[in-house]
Amino acid sequence: MEFDAIVVGSGITGGWAAKELTEAGLKVLMIERGREIRHQQDYETETKAPWELPFRGLGDARLYREQYPVQMLNRHFTEFTQNHFVNDAENPYTTEGDTSFTWFRSYQLGGRSLTWGRQSYRWSDYDFGANQRDGHGTDWPIRYADLAPWYDKVEEFIGVSGQAERLAQLPDGRFQPPMALNAVEQHVRATVRARWPERCLTIGRTANLTQAKESEGRAHCQYRSICARGCSYGAYFSTQSSTLPAAQKTGRLTLVTDAVVEGLDYDPQARRITGVRWIETKTKQHRRATSRAVFLNAGSFNSVHILLNSASEAAPHGVGNSSGVLGTHIMDHANTLSAMALMPGWEAHTTFGNRPTGVIVPRYRNMDVLDGQGHTRGFSFQGGAFQSTWTSGRRDAGIGADFKEKLCHPGMWRMVLVGFADCVPRPSNRLTLDRTRTDANGLPVLKVEFAFGKEEHAALTQAKAEATEMLTEAGGKVIAGTDQPGPGGTAIHEMGGARMGHDPKTSVLNKWSQAHDAANLFVTDGAQMSSSACQNPSLTYMALTARACDAAVTMLREGRI
Amino acid sequence: MAGPATNGWNRRDFFGGAALLALALGLPVAAVHLTDLPDDEAPNDRQRQLMNRVAQLVIPRTDTPGAGDVGTGDFVLLALAHGLSGSADPVSSGLLSRQVRHLRRDGSLRHAEWLEAELDLRAGGDFLRSPARQAALLGALDSEAYGQGQDRHPWRTIKTLLLTGYYTSEAGGSQELRYELVPGRWDPDLPATPQTRAFSSDWTAVDFG
Repeated sequence: MEFDAIVVGSGITGGWAAKELTEAGLKVLMIERGREIRHQQDYETETKAPWELPFRGLGDARLYREQYPVQMLNRHFTEFTQNHFVNDAENPYTTEGDTSFTWFRSYQLGGRSLTWGRQSYRWSDYDFGANQRDGHGTDWPIRYADLAPWYDKVEEFIGVSGQAERLAQLPDGRFQPPMALNAVEQHVRATVRARWPERCLTIGRTANLTQAKESEGRAHCQYRSICARGCSYGAYFSTQSSTLPAAQKTGRLTLVTDAVVEGLDYDPQARRITGVRWIETKTKQHRRATSRAVFLNAGSFNSVHILLNSASEAAPHGVGNSSGVLGTHIMDHANTLSAMALMPGWEAHTTFGNRPTGVIVPRYRNMDVLDGQGHTRGFSFQGGAFQSTWTSGRRDAGIGADFKEKLCHPGMWRMVLVGFADCVPRPSNRLTLDRTRTDANGLPVLKVEFAFGKEEHAALTQAKAEATEMLTEAGGKVIAGTDQPGPGGTAIHEMGGARMGHDPKTSVLNKWSQAHDAANLFVTDGAQMSSSACQNPSLTYMALTARACDAAVTMLREGRI
Repeated sequence: MAGPATNGWNRRDFFGGAALLALALGLPVAAVHLTDLPDDEAPNDRQRQLMNRVAQLVIPRTDTPGAGDVGTGDFVLLALAHGLSGSADPVSSGLLSRQVRHLRRDGSLRHAEWLEAELDLRAGGDFLRSPARQAALLGALDSEAYGQGQDRHPWRTIKTLLLTGYYTSEAGGSQELRYELVPGRWDPDLPATPQTRAFSSDWTAVDFG
């Protein structure tokens, strides 16, 4: 089989690569390791009520302990969504030493675009300049201006609702109308701004439509907030709702599912990828196809896995790894509940509908002045105010009619601020192949070595103190909070491993997300990231993918690759 | 759904009790979808009767059905057998001797068995034969379990599952509370009164409340 381009993976960036390359006229093969999930047809639990499920939405804890011991730790993993996450027992990975890393995965058509949190933020030059400024990692070969037009393009297509705030650290985008803050959040925004003008509480910028995109078959959000079950309204961005139909409309996309890529063939003389090899998981047959360009979009860690597993005499340490840095400098935001407060005095207010996003407080430390305590980068908050409900009865004494009466009303308002700290890129945080263990397809499993350092701990200490002071200032009574990050992987923003950089001796990719070692190889998922910022990365992955596709198409047309 | 068919206890028990109850109340049978539990986890008839009675005491019938009316006891027993809400986790320490005797080999507690013995002990006989005192006896246990330093009291686990069972049942979720799968809009600030009923479909509140 011969194609113009092969895209490995069908998640958030794979979908974008398929769309951009097919729309540019290329004949594209997309290879997805998991099963097919069809939009509007295969979202099996989408409309179920809790009483229609055997375990009422909580799921079978015994099954989860045996088959999903990692995925079950994800708050979004429930009986409603378990079909959109991997079975850990069937998809093992190992960790080095005392590493604790929760790798949350979705192996299926659409990948984690079906389960993602939809938070869509631009990065700023505080982020792209971070490595150069404090000396961690390697300097990004791009800056915000390189990416700004691609952010525009991506936001307009996927649909991002949000509020423009004119913040240098979180550039505004091409937004659909924002979802409104509730009464408590508006109060906290005003109170915090009055005391600390540099701290801006604003509504989350989320890839949920507030205005329908009828020509693309996408309705506006129905305020169910059950996105991870799959959305037949197409109201949140997923591969299925958005990029896949666009790619298929061109008639130039070939889609293969249930196919795990085992490696790339590399020609060291031509410095090119000459083929992509995969295993059909249902038949265990080995297949191969060739193309003029290859895009790796398997997810940060799995794209690295493919490159490492492509080692041969020609590339003994893995394809794209002449520098030796492949697999290193992996990151995930240090993430924890910084503060939770009761918010008395708002009992006369309630809401209707389920808003599928919370609020954020973007970074405000270590911008033009280095004012972080023990760290040189940023932290941000996500959270929101909400009313408690019957679940509070689990914590309260009481039985009988009065207890029942109490639980039928919306309860006390609460507000949470969850901290996300920039994760410094370190060579010691790395992925390798574990040659002692193979998966069901006979491939060596990935080994993760990861620990947060003093920078992340210092940032979360400051985050806890400042979350507490903000909620207290707004009249809240803080009842919980911590400065200890969850295990690596908690933020589900694992990234890096094939970093971008100026120098082929110290980086895997150049400024076009193109391998220094193989001109027709592009890695445009999270693996390419050279630093982590402290805001959600998916929008940046998409913008980088669109930009790399444009560059690749130009290079192909000019005969350079 | 992924994974094997959901486990429950055997069909004979099912048709002997829960299904008839479900049919009588017009409940969807799928909601009590039971197959087989290992013998040593299958509750006996008395435990089922007791758990449903306890459910009704915690959430009694008012203008909407009570928890026992909708078979919440069977949900609690199924949930305990499958370890929901940490109920199969090993119990660390601080147990009373009358709790220790109900431990499994792995250190987890057989909650249903414990509750049966505990309530009978408090009743000085058969709890189920003391209807007039049941609310007071259970109320006393509840007060103790929510006293200081009792965070891991086994009654809390049972009560957690019981509330889950009721408010995720059709009656609890859509009659006692309101259920709206497709709100269609977001109203960020509405007046609330002491009469306002909560939505069981407010998933954020359920998760974090």
